[in-house]
Parts: sequence; structure tokens; C-alpha cells
Amino acid sequence: MNQAEVIAKLQTIFDTVFLEPVVLTPAISAKDVPEWDSLTHISLMVSVEKAFGVRFRVGEVENSKNIGEFADLIIKRKLEP
Amino acid sequence: MDAGEIKKLLLSNDPEFWSCLKTLTGSARDFEELFLLSSLRKKAHARKLENPNVTAKKIRLAIVGGYSLYPLHELIEHLCEVDGLPVELWQGDYDNYISEIMDDDSELYTFTPHVVFILPAERRCTYTGHLTDPRELQQAEAQRAVDSILELARKVNEKTRAEVITTNFMLPARHDLGAFRSRTLGSDWSFRKWVNLELGLNAPSFLNICDWEFLANRLGGIAARDERSWFESKQPCSSALLVELAREAANLIAALKRAPKKVLVLDLDNTLWGGVLADDGLEGIELGDTSPRGEAFKAFQKYIASLKQRGVLLAVCSKNDLAKAQEPFQKHPEMVLRLDDIVSFKANWEPKSENIRAMAPELNLGLDSFVFVDDNPAEIEIVRQFAPEVTTILLGPDPSDYVTQLADCRLFEPRNITAEDAERTNQYRSDAQRKALEATVTDMASYLESLEMESVMSEFVPVDVPRLSQLINKSNQFNLTTHRRSEAEVIAVMNDKNFAGFSVRLKDRFGDHGLISIIIGEKVGDTMKIDTWLMSCRVLKRGVEKEVLNELARLAKLKNCTRLEGVYLPTSKNEMVRDFYGKMGFTLTAESETKREFELKLENFQPATTKIKIVRRAYEPS
Repeated sequence: MNQAEVIAKLQTIFDTVFLEPVVLTPAISAKDVPEWDSLTHISLMVSVEKAFGVRFRVGEVENSKNIGEFADLIIKRKLEP
Repeated sequence: MDAGEIKKLLLSNDPEFWSCLKTLTGSARDFEELFLLSSLRKKAHARKLENPNVTAKKIRLAIVGGYSLYPLHELIEHLCEVDGLPVELWQGDYDNYISEIMDDDSELYTFTPHVVFILPAERRCTYTGHLTDPRELQQAEAQRAVDSILELARKVNEKTRAEVITTNFMLPARHDLGAFRSRTLGSDWSFRKWVNLELGLNAPSFLNICDWEFLANRLGGIAARDERSWFESKQPCSSALLVELAREAANLIAALKRAPKKVLVLDLDNTLWGGVLADDGLEGIELGDTSPRGEAFKAFQKYIASLKQRGVLLAVCSKNDLAKAQEPFQKHPEMVLRLDDIVSFKANWEPKSENIRAMAPELNLGLDSFVFVDDNPAEIEIVRQFAPEVTTILLGPDPSDYVTQLADCRLFEPRNITAEDAERTNQYRSDAQRKALEATVTDMASYLESLEMESVMSEFVPVDVPRLSQLINKSNQFNLTTHRRSEAEVIAVMNDKNFAGFSVRLKDRFGDHGLISIIIGEKVGDTMKIDTWLMSCRVLKRGVEKEVLNELARLAKLKNCTRLEGVYLPTSKNEMVRDFYGKMGFTLTAESETKREFELKLENFQPATTKIKIVRRAYEPS
């Protein structure tokens, strides 16, 4: 899976979680999306981990500055045995 | 119905949104699913799309505790509101609950809550000393942990008169300490178990326990925890358990505001027994130990009987002819429920919704106290539509799940302790003392006496045929001749005047053993030949065999016989009864490798006395 494919799949998750449509780009981040608060974030991460079958390590999600970096993190975790 | 459809309803400001939200919320199991529904609910409020069915005054709910209370508060608020009990929330700060409660001027008290939900910090419920410290020391610390929670609850209640709910503690789910874990009160495992028990047993009536230990156990100890979410955002447990915790809290809050259900209305065919009474007949319905399905239906009846014991009223609503429908309650030997267990019995061809409506004034109860159980979706639908106040339960396709469905329905849970309960407790105590006394009795006769055994002897009757044949074909050890017989052959014996067959049922104060012995005698001239004598080994040494011989002798005399003839046919499994006839006072008359023959002259026969009360004898009017 490359970054674009991951973002495409993330888009479907975001479409479910958020009522107002959000068009994901690598540069977009939580502060650009009004509905993306700390509460929604918890739910979003549960959905992403289930959808991709990955488990992030403690604290690493908050180090991703935008969707692009977040997608790269998903790829990195997916590549782990 | 799914997330996409409900979003459309929301975006078109359709009030249908709310009933749809309720349905989806009821079935949502995953955290993210429930969370999404809650977000949609908040959006609906923001769009001024209001729920037409919510008119109740808001419950002022305060949540405090040793964890981050986000997003738990969100889930609780959602579940309460969707259930028709909207709440106004106040949350304490992370791990600030002790000062929030102890400080008289805290915001908690200016909020004037109706209900306060406390989640005491797990990490404070741990023994601080050494694992091998004296038990007294460990116990004293555990007691202090209990007392501190009770003290917080008392303080809240005194200040606010609010109902208080507190969680207890999850148990560890890791192997740490190994087998030593349960040998010391110093382990978190034992310490928390002790605290949970003491907390529950000593909770005053204003305090409700949200049993987190139970919830975690039900979900699975490992699935209950998520260490990462603790480090990242001080979450109390895994998101999966958070859903269950929120549901439990919402359930407890609803229970404070609503009366429990009082009446369980039961369908009959394929609900209380398998099959259709009108088609299969009294003998044909599946009920009791003859088949796995029959056992499942009987277990369901036993569970229903236990609800009755808790105070739930039982009623029947069936599409049947009344006399026919009542027959199993009067005549079927495997029925647990009897006519006098049923407070209202409606069997007719009117719609079930009308029948249940008629019950309400009869029992002087509101329709909202009724729960209706049926295996037929069409009947459930009629009641839903035409008696919507009634709660309905559609039983699934497998009767082995029936008990589970009722046991998880959460409609008949007892509330806090009343004075009446306390009185009953006293009665139980004196009962227990009496039983303890009995337990000290050591000789066999007193033991048998204390069992309070009762037996029913019955000629073969059609309704027993499946059980008779089944026991005849599976009984091996206590079986003198091992003559097998099909149901048709049992029926042939039943209808032949030369045969005297009877069955024996036994119950004692611990329960009903059911049909445990079968005897078939055949009159040949002046002799009663014992064709079959078998018994379940569960009731050995109770005196049943003596009563059977008494009965056999009585029947033989009635048929003008002067002697009994018994035969032992050895098999690989019935060695235990090789000398049975000898011990019962018979004389050995012939012996070979394949056969031992005995006789008993009846002229001098004296019936033996036992500790069994014979309630009914065979071939006599009951």
C-alpha cells in the first residue's frame, strides 16, 4: 500500500466519522477540521486501527503532523511482521 | 438501517432520525459505532431537530473519578437520552474526586446533582506493604480502602441527598505472581476481590454498585484493559469495556427512575415446550429429559420458576383452546410450571395484544409493567403495534438460548434491599440453622429422614412412554434382566392386562429426581414373573427398592398371585445386582452361568418400612 492508497482508505473512514465532508490531502491536519476534536480523535483512532489491522505504539500518533505523516505511520506499522 | 441512512435522515431534518437512533443505539456494540451515534445526536440538537418523545425533566448527573471521564461521559449521556432520560452533566477533573467530594464549597455541590457517579482510582486499591505481611495487616488496609469509598458516598449523599453510584474494581488479568496470587491478600487480585465483596455487602441503600469486576469478567479480563490508552489519555479501560461500563451506568440510572417489570407473559408452543400442542398432543410435545431439546425447554421453565420466586408474576397468552392448553400444566409430568404458578391464563383466538390489554386491569397493573415473550415474530409484532407499552422479547431459533435471552434482558433485576427482604433474610437464617443441625446427624436413618423423600408410583401412562422407553433402553447397571423395549413395545405392555408395569418417581428436599425406576411384572398362573426391574443408580440406598418390592407384592396379590419369580441375567455391566434378589429376601431356586432364578412366597411377606412417603400407588385413582 502506498501513501495515496492509504489516504483513499482513510477518506472512507473520515466520511463515516464526520458529518461535514472532509477532503483528505497529505497536508491536512486536525486543526483544519472543525469536527476533529480530542474526543472524536479517540474514536477515529479506534476505527483506523480496526480498518487497517494495525496497532500504534504509545504516543506515536500525536507525533504525526498531518495526514501524510499519519499515512506513512500506518504503512510502517503495516509492514511489521 | 446503517450509519449512511441515519445521516441522511439527519441532513433532511427528518424526526424519524430519533427512532432510528434508538434502534441503532440498542444494537451498537463497538465503541466507535456508539460514539458516532452520539456525535449525530449532538448534531441533531445543533440543527434544532428535537426528539418529539423526550419530555422528561433532565436528570442532573455528576461524574467524578480517578480517570479521564472523557469520552465515558459522552456515552452515558447518549445512552440515557436515547432511553428517554435526558441528563445534564457535570464532570469532575481527572483524579480530583476526593477533594471535589470532601470540599463543601466544591462545584459538585453547587451543581446540585440528582445522581453522582464515582469511579474510585484503581491504583489506590492496592496493598502497599509486602506480600508476605500478616493477613491481619493486609485485611486492615483492604478494610480502609472499603471504608474510604463508603465515606465518600456517605458524604455525597448527606450533602446532596443524591443517589450515589460507585464502581468497584477490575481484577488483574496477567499471570504475575502465579499460584501465589490467591494465597495472599497482598496481591492486587485478592485485595480487590476482597474490597469488591465487602463494598457490595456493606453498601447502604442509597449506594448502588456499578459492578466493574463483573463487567470486565464478562467481557474477558484481557480484553477489558488497554494500557496504552491509560498512558496516552488516562482512560479507565479498553474502549470495548468503556461501552459496557457506560451501558451499565445508564442502566443503573434508569433503574433509579423507573419501576421494574412485574409480569412475564408467556407463549406456550415452542416457548415453554417444543412442538405444537394441538398437532402433537400431550404425549408428543418435547419437554424434559428425553431429548436435548426437551431438556432445554425444561431448563427454560426452571429459570422462569426462579423469576417467580423473585416476585415476578407469570401469565400465559396462547393461541389455543383453553382446556387443551391447560392440560400440560395439570398432567404433563415434566412441566415445571403448574397452573397455580400462573396468575392469568389466556388461551383463545383473540389477538395477543388484546389479551394482554385485558390482563392489566385484572392484575391492577399498568401495561408498562408487562413483558411478553414469544418465539413467533408475527405475534411479537402485533403486540408491539397494538400494545406498545408492553416490552417484547422475541425468542431466537434455539431453545438452548432462551434462558440466556431472559437472563440478559435486564428487565427483572431486583432493586435495593427492603425491610421485607430483611425479614425474609431472618427466616432464611433460622432455616439455615435448622439445616446445619440436620447436617450434624450422622446415622443413615436420620439422614434419610431429613431428605423428606416423596415418591409417586404410576402405572404406565401414554404421556410417560418416551421416558419409559428411553430409560429401559439406556439403563445398564441396576438392571436385572436388561430387556430392551421400544416405545411400541412399552405401549403393548401398557395395554396387556396380564402385565403389571409401573414407574417410580422420587423427589426430596434438594429437588426432583424424576422417573427413576421401572418394573414390569407378568402374571403367569399364580406367579408374578418379574420381567424387568431397573433403577437409576443416582438413588441407590434410599429405600426405593424396598418400596418397589412392597408395591410389587401388593399388585401381585391384587392379581391373585401367591409368589414372585425373579431372574438375574448377567451382562458385562450389571454385576452390582447379582445378589439383589437374595438381599431382598428371595430364595435362589436355580443357577447357571447365564441365569440365576429366585422366588418369594407372598403368604408371609411383610412390607418393609422406609423413609419415603408414597404419595400415590400404581393403578389407583390419583
